[in-house]
Amino acid sequence: MRRILLVSILLMMALHVSAQNRTVTGKVTDVADGSGLPGVSIVVQGTSKGTTTDAEGAYSIDLVTGEDILVFSFIGYKTQSIAVGDRAVVDLPMEGDATELTEVVIVGYGEQRKSDITGATATVKGEELTRQPVLTATQAMQGKVAGVQIISSGQPGTSPQIRIRGVGTALAGTTSLYVVDGVLTDDISNINTSDIIDMSILKDASAAAIYGSRGANGVIIITTKKGAAGGLKLNYNNNIGIRQASNLVEMANAAEYSNYVQAATGKAPTASGYDTDWYDVILRNAWQQTHNLSLSGGTDKGTYLLNVGYLNDQGIVVDNSFKRFTVRLNNEYKLLENLKFGLQSSYGNSINQNGFGNVDIDAFGNIGSVYSDAYRSAPIIPSIVDGKYGNTSAYQNVGNPLLDVKNNSIKVRENRLQGSSYLEYKPLSWLTLRTSIGADWRSSLNRGYYYQFNADESTFVTSGGNQYRSLSSLNVKQTTSFRWVFDNTASIHKSFNKHDFTLLIGTTAEKYKQEWFSANRSDVPADPDLWYIGVGDANTSQNDGGGDAWARNSYLGRLNYNYDGKYLLTATIRSDGSSRLPSQNRWRQYPSVGLGWVLSRENFLQSQNFIDFLKVRASYGKVGNDQIPTDAYTLRVAVNKPYPFGGSTTNGSQINQIIDPNITWETTEEYDAAIEFELLQSKLSGEINYYNKKVENALIIIPIMGNLGDINGEVVTNAASIENKGVEVSLTWRDEINDDLSYSISGNATFNNNHVVALNGGQAIWGGSIGAAQGYTTYTDNGHSVGSFYVLQTIGVFNSEAEVAAYKDKNGKVIQPTAKAGEFKYLDKNEDGVIDDNDRVFAGSYQPVAYFGADINVKYKNWDFGLSIYGNAGNEVYNGKKAVRVSGTDNVEKDIVYNRWTSANRSQTEPGANVGNLPASTYFVESGTFARINNLTIGYTFPSSFLERIKVSSLRIFATSQNLFTYKKYSGFTAELPGNPTDSGIELTSYPTTRTIAAGLNIGF
Amino acid sequence: MKNKSFLGIVLICLLSLACSDSFLDVAVQGGVTTTTDPKLAEKLVTGVYNSLLQGDSWGDGDIHGFAFITVTNIISDDADKGSTPSDQAVPVGDIDNFTLTPTNKFAETLWSGNYNGIGAANQALAALATAAIDTDQRDVWMGEVRFLRAYLYFNLVRMYGGVPLVFRVPKDADDANSDITFKTRASVETVYDSIENDLHFAIEKLPLKNNGHVTQGAAKSMLAKVYMYQKEWDKVFQLTNEVINSGQYKLVEDYATIWRQVGNNSIESIFEIETGEFNNANLKIDNYTVSQGPRTGGSGGWDDLGWGFNTPSTSLVNAYEEGDFRKEATIISIDNSGTRKGTVLWDGFRIPSSDSVQNLYYNYKAYTSRESESYAVSADKDRPKNIKILRYAEVLLMNAEAALQPTVNQPSFAESSMKLIRERAGLEPKASYTIEDVWKERRVELAMEHDRFWDLVRQGRAAAVMHAAGKTNFVEGKHELLPIPNSQILLSGNVLAQNPLY
Repeated sequence: MRRILLVSILLMMALHVSAQNRTVTGKVTDVADGSGLPGVSIVVQGTSKGTTTDAEGAYSIDLVTGEDILVFSFIGYKTQSIAVGDRAVVDLPMEGDATELTEVVIVGYGEQRKSDITGATATVKGEELTRQPVLTATQAMQGKVAGVQIISSGQPGTSPQIRIRGVGTALAGTTSLYVVDGVLTDDISNINTSDIIDMSILKDASAAAIYGSRGANGVIIITTKKGAAGGLKLNYNNNIGIRQASNLVEMANAAEYSNYVQAATGKAPTASGYDTDWYDVILRNAWQQTHNLSLSGGTDKGTYLLNVGYLNDQGIVVDNSFKRFTVRLNNEYKLLENLKFGLQSSYGNSINQNGFGNVDIDAFGNIGSVYSDAYRSAPIIPSIVDGKYGNTSAYQNVGNPLLDVKNNSIKVRENRLQGSSYLEYKPLSWLTLRTSIGADWRSSLNRGYYYQFNADESTFVTSGGNQYRSLSSLNVKQTTSFRWVFDNTASIHKSFNKHDFTLLIGTTAEKYKQEWFSANRSDVPADPDLWYIGVGDANTSQNDGGGDAWARNSYLGRLNYNYDGKYLLTATIRSDGSSRLPSQNRWRQYPSVGLGWVLSRENFLQSQNFIDFLKVRASYGKVGNDQIPTDAYTLRVAVNKPYPFGGSTTNGSQINQIIDPNITWETTEEYDAAIEFELLQSKLSGEINYYNKKVENALIIIPIMGNLGDINGEVVTNAASIENKGVEVSLTWRDEINDDLSYSISGNATFNNNHVVALNGGQAIWGGSIGAAQGYTTYTDNGHSVGSFYVLQTIGVFNSEAEVAAYKDKNGKVIQPTAKAGEFKYLDKNEDGVIDDNDRVFAGSYQPVAYFGADINVKYKNWDFGLSIYGNAGNEVYNGKKAVRVSGTDNVEKDIVYNRWTSANRSQTEPGANVGNLPASTYFVESGTFARINNLTIGYTFPSSFLERIKVSSLRIFATSQNLFTYKKYSGFTAELPGNPTDSGIELTSYPTTRTIAAGLNIGF
Repeated sequence: MKNKSFLGIVLICLLSLACSDSFLDVAVQGGVTTTTDPKLAEKLVTGVYNSLLQGDSWGDGDIHGFAFITVTNIISDDADKGSTPSDQAVPVGDIDNFTLTPTNKFAETLWSGNYNGIGAANQALAALATAAIDTDQRDVWMGEVRFLRAYLYFNLVRMYGGVPLVFRVPKDADDANSDITFKTRASVETVYDSIENDLHFAIEKLPLKNNGHVTQGAAKSMLAKVYMYQKEWDKVFQLTNEVINSGQYKLVEDYATIWRQVGNNSIESIFEIETGEFNNANLKIDNYTVSQGPRTGGSGGWDDLGWGFNTPSTSLVNAYEEGDFRKEATIISIDNSGTRKGTVLWDGFRIPSSDSVQNLYYNYKAYTSRESESYAVSADKDRPKNIKILRYAEVLLMNAEAALQPTVNQPSFAESSMKLIRERAGLEPKASYTIEDVWKERRVELAMEHDRFWDLVRQGRAAAVMHAAGKTNFVEGKHELLPIPNSQILLSGNVLAQNPLY
């Protein structure tokens, strides 16, 4: 090849002088099948002169003296420069180039070329995901896709929260729909990331409309790997690493604590000689490892893939861990030339030990209390001495955090079978019939054992206090659920002249049933072999049980049309029925339409070589959200409301709720417009997207007056409307410097504005309760973001009694008469001379103004290097753990000890030493802006020359780190704080975020 | 032709699922609805009684829990907040010190708790009206429910003054938010009229004995008390005489046993909140006993009994006459002698001396014995305790107070009633009594029994007594009532009016 090129160049030079005006003709074909390629752009290098190939791929161009090099470019093919020399005919077989645009994207019940899509979608490759040592694929997607915000949790075994294009609901479910090989689910913690080929994200209503009422929070379609025809392939990969808490909050040590307590209460605690760092006590460096072994292969009649995975993730909190074993078997058979059968199945078994939120238990045993207890516990109390715990409870009425963890054993064991099978029949070249059945069976057993221990010297260094359990107890809860989905589709594909139609029609039906029961007995011995209900005291036995069931039925249709690859149209309609809604509101239709125009295929853009691809698209769509409790519209009687008449108990009931019998779907209407482009020989590609998404009939809890007989004073109804508007920008620069060095840099940013447009007669919602001292901290009201912080405004710290006396309202009334020097001065917003809840102000929300991600990938010879950054900006978080300081003996952060107001250091932002119990104010609201190095990976792929010697087909070793460094303004553990729409961004009992450093290898035979 | 047949197959496939309309009729699993329980009306009556056990003081609602203790005892001169100074400074300390604001959590949960009970009552009445049951039985149940509703409104009117009168359950949120009667405070007189109405109905329908359910005697005694708050003394006198002459009640011999388990539903009891067990668990008012249990302090070293709130004040300690048995039966005095002998309670339980205990006095009437009383879960510190809302001694005291009023002027009745009370207490009867004597007797007889503060307000001397007790923040014309919860005012769209000076 190189030689030919050389010869050509020599010829070119030789002929340069003698060249005349001439006509060059030829035919451009696809190298793969020899067919003519229409629309290929041919430009004379260095000029703007050019032409395009006709329908058969033929072209003709006139050249003058000095014009020798033709540049052939066509979307989806490698751009080539050809020296004409003295040839009159230059035929060119063009080689395909797998750029993003030609890749097919799974769009739900079918697939489409990226370049033909009219809605907002994105795809993330499996290899980008597996590179990161994280539990779920969702987590690995963080920062990769514009418009998709992923809020992670450091806790093993938990799924991160996804918000696609902002918060669109206040009360209904916010979980995105996952579609795993056609099976609909809301949790993919059972999916081994290394099973995944790619994840497609349908972001806007037009793309998601095919999923109708399931699509309101976006759809993530996961396709798992399949075997390929050819010999047996064996692949093993692993990674082993260590995790640690990434950002610790430093608490006062014994001396600082004593100093502060003395200042706050006037009485120094008795010195003990101990200096305990409680976070150090309950946190640890933890091991995590994953191993995957896959076996795949096949013939032209069938393929198979078997993947076995094991994950063991120790939590950074002592005694916490998550282990998961997965097996996947994906087979595909060609029964006849036009009949295919496929089966995707997976089995997962997981054990979650002492995970937060697994079982609701008493105040002293809940691992959730560990965090607030560690924050509050005094450093002068030892954690454990010779097997005896330090008695924080006796000293300060706070549980010993280590004992909080050690005094119970909570284990959740889950088995899950998930799979789908399909039959695909192509009776005619233009008709595909497909039927598929998917199923998801889950069974989980929660077992909580709570040890017996006394508040005396058998447990503690000193006796006393409230931390004890006079009787051991055992709780078990068994939950089983089964869900199936049955899809039938017919797809018609016709092409004539330049018209290309694909019509899809189908039905889908889905049913879910869940059943649980629980049992509970006290006085069960501490030997784990005896942790069975039958062993406990029968006189203490209690049990409970319940269930849930729902069904959905839908009809769907989609038309994709394009003319000459230039003009694109997608129209979908889905009619959805759900048992979760009352019969009068049961069925709804969700239409969408998308239009696209590929400008780069127009003639007027052919005679240039700057733009390789340019498309504008716009869409409108409507989707619904029926993620409401199954019984929302049914008035239920509260049973088991007994009363002991004359000492003998009679059972009773209450009707203590008011419900809305006319609950209906939340409806999202979304407009989306975008421009997609590839420039400079596709080195620069990108997309700019505008969206406007309005949710109408958003379900919210309408607080009603407490005198109406509704026990919690709340009614769920369709009242609010919420709007999210935003812009997404993604850019990628990709270049191959030479055979040794290539790199890509990509970045994306999303700017989102969320606000409540109307409450429509409803009432603003209070949320984010911190506890007795502060009450609610957020308020969701007209014109403000969902879950905005709503607190008192601090306007400084009083320096003296004189300043207290001077702080008066317009009538001369002292506003904070009981305040003392060193206490906060609060804004009297309503100017009534009193500081109370009516003086609260909006203080920002947890929703970022912008979030962004960036990736840099470099390949140099056999080395590869990757760096990912993720961050968000412009949001606020609430330091709730600081607010759990409710007593003068509670510990305090080290920074506060030094920065607090004193008569010498007149801080206006940090109050003087105090005993806690401060009201909710802007003092607790901090900036949530952060950016971090999400992942840093370096890998080495062994050269084939070496591999041949050791009989290995591929081998790569790598070192990686997750969350290596975080830049943040927030003083707490992490500004990434998941939660419900009206109470997110509050750090109360959050699991600390972790940093992971790991290494691994990937070997294929 | 061939194409058409394939199209036919496709359509058959697609339509195979379309036919079954019933596919989406999935009933709520495990949810009892108003139509699926044939004995609903009867169960709803029990449910109203159950609502009296609400003690979720920081949450959904409180009728007889810690919030109730706070606004009846701790607020008065009989008791101090107790516990450690900072513990529950908000909201309890604020109520004790009269620094409370309309956002006080307990003022909010008492409002919702009592109204939750009223809501349960309204639901029960609606179900009873249509249930296919024997009319006599229906009348009795309606009488019980209306008695309970009257009692809850009586609590509300004493705590907040005039309140919205809710006699029906709204259909949905729209209905709830649009009906102005839910947001408008009725006058105090109108509230009392409705209470009297319900109680008259109850008196008419309820039997003398009712298997632990409320009785005619309870309704009459309650109505007497309601009239006493309105100073309609002749009616108080008449009704208390009817109760006295009914022969259903008498004083128990040993005052100290009234609040123990053996005193449950005694001959002296007219209306009490009952507790017990259900489903192998304690059936109780949450936090009623644990909040008042003696608390560890100082050098600690013992497993204490509770949080140490609602501690009898020195004013109460000094209120007893020499030799009054009731003092020892009402107040646990912590040994402060320096001899470390501790305090031994009736069941033999020993509380260490003051260097290991947080406070000097505790409420004996809230004490439960782990060893000598029986509970489903004895290990739980928060053990069940019946609360005596109306007992015969109070009827005698009301009778005496009425008898001494100028409009009634039957001092001999006062003398005989007071004699019974004082003799049981180990005190000599007096030759004659003034109204102040009855007030003083009432204070010690009913000490820590949730009446003192309302008594002072009723007697028109709350400000004087509070100031004398050192509670100088008490503002006359303001602190006789709790603030209407701010949250409720906001929810009413500011239609609900606040109490004066809040």
